[in-house]
Amino acid sequence: MIWFAALAILAGVLVSLSRQINGRLALSTSAMESSFWNHIVGLGFITFVALLVGGLFAGEPTASPWWAYLGGPVGVIFIAAGSWLIARIGAAQTALLIIAGQMISGVVLDIIMGAPGDLWARTVGVGLILAGMWVAQGGKRT
Amino acid sequence: MSQASQPNPMIYFSAAFGTGGLLSLMVLFNGTLAAYGSLFFASWVPHLTGTFAALLFLVILKPKRAHVARPPLWVYLGGVSGAITVMLTSATLNSALALSGTIALGLAGQMVFSLFADVRGLFGLPQRTPVPRDFVALALIIAGSLILIFFGSGT
Repeated sequence: MIWFAALAILAGVLVSLSRQINGRLALSTSAMESSFWNHIVGLGFITFVALLVGGLFAGEPTASPWWAYLGGPVGVIFIAAGSWLIARIGAAQTALLIIAGQMISGVVLDIIMGAPGDLWARTVGVGLILAGMWVAQGGKRT
Repeated sequence: MSQASQPNPMIYFSAAFGTGGLLSLMVLFNGTLAAYGSLFFASWVPHLTGTFAALLFLVILKPKRAHVARPPLWVYLGGVSGAITVMLTSATLNSALALSGTIALGLAGQMVFSLFADVRGLFGLPQRTPVPRDFVALALIIAGSLILIFFGSGT
């Protein structure tokens, strides 16, 4: 259990590490070029590991809805935006605002998709995040 | 903060918030792929289509190179770090941590390492020191996120 907790924390560290490295590449090239290298190098790495472990095409991947295949182009813009932002507002501010955006849009998506949810928890959670964003934004105005 | 020709910070602010919205879409799309295929497949497909999409964007937009000189080789390894993230989370999702524990601990790791990187100016990125206001914002956003993660989804 403690090992899995350490792995989950490490996963978060690697998200930040990846954004910093891509951000550094974007400083020398461009945000979009950094996103390209992130994807092609990641593709090579995943292909290599999948060939070692096997089971890349296990399950019924062809049965998934067509729109599930749209994650790639969205991810390209996500990585490019992160690389662009991190050099301008810093790693912590970038991470914090992306988390805020993810959490609030997640609630909106859940409501659209009709996922069950606790109204009070959603209201308090979104309220705290909006308050935090208001505080963060106020500090940049001076 | 101290940069001279800085445009309106609200642009960065809204861009970062919108980028978080993109992440929700990616979780929905890639998570749906993972429900039908393997977790490798759910990470492999977006990297494959993303490589072609990025090439297309580069051809259309032709972004200017910041420097002619080539950067050090390690800056091309961001994708490896991202790919390992997917593999780690697929392991912890199936442990007692489940989805909520995986996300919550991931947020913690991400924030602590980001703050550390800012303070030290790691990897050639600008060094910056957080002010008390940043920590208030951090506490509020993380508290709201934890409430959503652990109590928001009802069941």
